[in-house]
Amino acid sequence: MTISGDARQDAQQKIEAYLRRLRQRLRGMNDEGAREIVEELRSHIMEKTAATGGTTVAGVDAALAGLGNPEELAGQYVTDDLLARAEVSRSPVRILGSLVHWASLSVAGFFVLLGGVIGYFCGAVFILIAVAKLFHPHTAGLWTYPDGGGQLALSFRLGFRSPPVGGRDVLGWWIVPIGWVAGCGLVMLTTYIAVWFVRQYRRSLFLPRG
Amino acid sequence: MGVQLRKGCLELAILAALWDGKLYGLEILRRLESDSDLIVSEGTVYPLLSRLKALGLVESEWVESDAGHPRKYYALTSSGRHRVREMAGMWTRFSSSMSRLLAPVSKGK
Repeated sequence: MTISGDARQDAQQKIEAYLRRLRQRLRGMNDEGAREIVEELRSHIMEKTAATGGTTVAGVDAALAGLGNPEELAGQYVTDDLLARAEVSRSPVRILGSLVHWASLSVAGFFVLLGGVIGYFCGAVFILIAVAKLFHPHTAGLWTYPDGGGQLALSFRLGFRSPPVGGRDVLGWWIVPIGWVAGCGLVMLTTYIAVWFVRQYRRSLFLPRG
Repeated sequence: MGVQLRKGCLELAILAALWDGKLYGLEILRRLESDSDLIVSEGTVYPLLSRLKALGLVESEWVESDAGHPRKYYALTSSGRHRVREMAGMWTRFSSSMSRLLAPVSKGK
């Protein structure tokens, strides 16, 4: 069977269009890694179409169908790349970015993201109060105040508003060192736990290590 | 669980397919299809190979071919070889214990 030049060109254009969509979704990965993925899949498509009698549109369609949607395919590479980088990263922003991606793919990822957000939020609150105390010494801090039902309520305050009526600044200036230690500790602990989960997930082959 | 189990099996199967020597992507797919009942999607195997490489279990090299385009060959690293041996042992133990457990069920059919 002879394949006309036009038919071969159409088939080639289909391959290039598919690889272009894939490449677009691989943005964010390093250039060398993305280029290698594209070249490997190009090689695969050529190999498959050659096995079915040459570069025809039908052959290319079949090969591309086997690989599936290019965006979904790229998503699998990008997720693993992001998690791999999160595993060696100590940056909360990068870790949260990776967890968001993981959460969009699995329930486990969603819960780790939830824990990460809560951990970082609490850490940030402690650090912010420690900083705010320096600028609002009379209103920022950890306050207790009567909640009206005979109980004492606890309030973390940045100091932009007046203290609660009948309230008491529990820690005073101690909030500065305690806030820093607790805040940084929470951020570090959250990072450590998130990275641990990411590491377990990436190594979670069906059979555990003996 | 189903997806993880299937992916885990597939990772072991890919590593096992490379036991006898280096193969490129399509050869691995053909080996899996001919030697096992695993339904293998091409769009799953390539990202898994990339992951196994990132974990240091396989290594890759580009080799020029007569087909007119280079092929990316994968081979087990020493840690991949150690891992697949370890996993194969676990799989055999797991499989024989399941067979013992399922024997009465099979007899009673």
